[in-house]
Amino acid sequence: MKKTVSVILFVAFFIGLFTAGPLAYAQNTIKVGIVDTYTGPATTFTMDVLDGFKLAVNDINAKGGVLGKKIEYMTRDEKFKPDIGLAMAKELVLKENVDLLMGTINSATTLAISDFVKKEKLPFFVTFAKSEKIIGEKGHPYIFNMNESTAMAGKAAAIALAKKPYVKYWIAGDDYEYGHAIADSLWNHLKKIKPQVQKVGESWWKVGEADFTPYITQILAAKPDFIIAATGGAGMVNFQKAAKATGLSQKIPFYQHTAIELSVLKPQEQNAPEGVFGTANYFFYYPDTPSNRAFVDEFKKAYNREPRVGALSGYMTARFIAEGYKKAGKIDKEALIKALEGMSLNSPVGPMAIRGCDHQLELPMYFGTTTKNPKYNFLVAGDIQVIQAKDYMPTCDEVIKSRK
Amino acid sequence: MDVVYSVIPAGVLSQIFVGLSRTTILFIVASGLTLILGVLRIPNVAHGSLYMIGAFTAFSVAKLSGGGSTGFWTAVAIAPLAVAAISFIAERGMFQFLYEREHLMLLLLTFAFSLVFGDLVKLVWGSEYKSVPVPPVFQGFIPLFGGLPFPLYNLFLLVAGPVVAILLWLLTNRTKMGKIARAAAVDREMVGAVGINVSRVFATVFVIGCYLAGLGGVLVAPTVSVTLGMDHNLIIEAFLIVIIGGLGNIWGALLGALIFGLTQSLGILIWPKFGIIFPYLAVVVVLLFRPTGLLKSTW
Repeated sequence: MKKTVSVILFVAFFIGLFTAGPLAYAQNTIKVGIVDTYTGPATTFTMDVLDGFKLAVNDINAKGGVLGKKIEYMTRDEKFKPDIGLAMAKELVLKENVDLLMGTINSATTLAISDFVKKEKLPFFVTFAKSEKIIGEKGHPYIFNMNESTAMAGKAAAIALAKKPYVKYWIAGDDYEYGHAIADSLWNHLKKIKPQVQKVGESWWKVGEADFTPYITQILAAKPDFIIAATGGAGMVNFQKAAKATGLSQKIPFYQHTAIELSVLKPQEQNAPEGVFGTANYFFYYPDTPSNRAFVDEFKKAYNREPRVGALSGYMTARFIAEGYKKAGKIDKEALIKALEGMSLNSPVGPMAIRGCDHQLELPMYFGTTTKNPKYNFLVAGDIQVIQAKDYMPTCDEVIKSRK
Repeated sequence: MDVVYSVIPAGVLSQIFVGLSRTTILFIVASGLTLILGVLRIPNVAHGSLYMIGAFTAFSVAKLSGGGSTGFWTAVAIAPLAVAAISFIAERGMFQFLYEREHLMLLLLTFAFSLVFGDLVKLVWGSEYKSVPVPPVFQGFIPLFGGLPFPLYNLFLLVAGPVVAILLWLLTNRTKMGKIARAAAVDREMVGAVGINVSRVFATVFVIGCYLAGLGGVLVAPTVSVTLGMDHNLIIEAFLIVIIGGLGNIWGALLGALIFGLTQSLGILIWPKFGIIFPYLAVVVVLLFRPTGLLKSTW
């Protein structure tokens, strides 16, 4: 009995070896390796990137693929840990022979992988990490940034806020790099545009803080004109809930990057505070154009929910990869990079280009306030003002200088 | 009131009461943790996950029962029971066979449970943020202490905390079960030797402890967004509270939670930029001078 079992196992092992072998060598596809966080709170954003990417890839493959090859992708969960993320990127490149890498939501992971792809000379599309170092200080020709950075978000908000009458500012936020980076960029640009602004105080709470009430009572007592609340992730909703419960939202206006975004407003349904200022790169309801409506319908049909900011980023990454190879005319990394530089494509929200000098995707930024709308059972962005990419992005000179 | 304000400024007073309301949640969760730690000797890392499941269940129950105040109260009644049911299955199916193992082994096991629970929550509820609305009765705020707004829901928490503490005291000091559990915490072999079914006592204590985790999750839900990962944030604070209070001591958990909540809210007042370090400083100070915790540990 024991012998038969071992014989069967032995045979099965060899059959496995021979069938797996040829598959691994016949590369008739374009392989994209995706390293991202698929456990924990970040999932709410990364799933949108992945689903947006999948939507575009399925469409591209259904139409015959790129240069006769289908796009194939594999995902790896880096669990929000840079060391795991780097190991997975290495595995994808060295074992799976992927042609390209994309991801991640974690800036530290992104910078670690960035270092690795620079040596491997492999293009890497950054879909959700917001550190300005990715394109700036640590930037190199193999990095493509498909979303905004904290520096850009802060500058965009500063442009819009400078037009408001507020003078005395309080700065508060999640005590980690993202929070400080957003607040610093906003504050530095705001001071430049409108020198009379003054800072009356600062408070920083730990990431994942459950109760903001003690912080808010302190801010109320200081009576600022305006609050910059540099919260991220789940802290966005937590702060809005506390602002409503304490009446802060009716007394002192405040700004949060992505405050007007669906991921923050939909969970709160009708209970989100009104009049909160925010910035975001995508809405499923704005601009209300046929191309955006078509994208939303398609996404909704496939995943039964509205696309959010990450979906656009994932979707456009796939589109650029496909069009880039088509323009290059061959599956070659260097040719792809050349082809993508300066390339402009029609996105659901209008034409969108990859800037040649630093590989930054030129996304429009929307500034607005949370508003009730009878069409939806949750608050949406109202009073939307479009800030063009060329206005809020650092100039090519600034980026090149920061790389030295 | 003006007399009071001349001694303690309104801002400080307001901050103290906000700190106290925050203490409630910390105490409820930490008391469950310390109960299990004291009696069963299990450092239950999955306690935070049960708190998270409590919050997610509260979201679903509140939604299914029509939302609003009814939804909230139904959630308060049902969600902790659902968490208790899960813990009952885990205890009978797994933990009861492992009580004699080393602490490290139990720690690893509960850690594994916390990972499994985390993924289960993602499977059941998905990855989007969830939000439980504040029940209409407690919406808004009242001007308290020199006109500074005080959220009504925090006022409700201020009442809920002492109620839970009194009920726990009655349970541990006035019921036979509680007395047996306290005895088992000190010497479990002796309790078994006098003919008491220790296994059943353990199961009951475990389920009660987990019920408290679930209750904490339900009560915190209206003030935050219910998300994956809320377990990690809480479990570290809960363990610190249990450690500075004295392992296994429920009053220690109360004291620890008070220190944690108050140092934080008053710290914000003194130095808002670095408000977060105050509770941890308090922990360091306590551990320097009383390494075994403030109150008597049952270990």
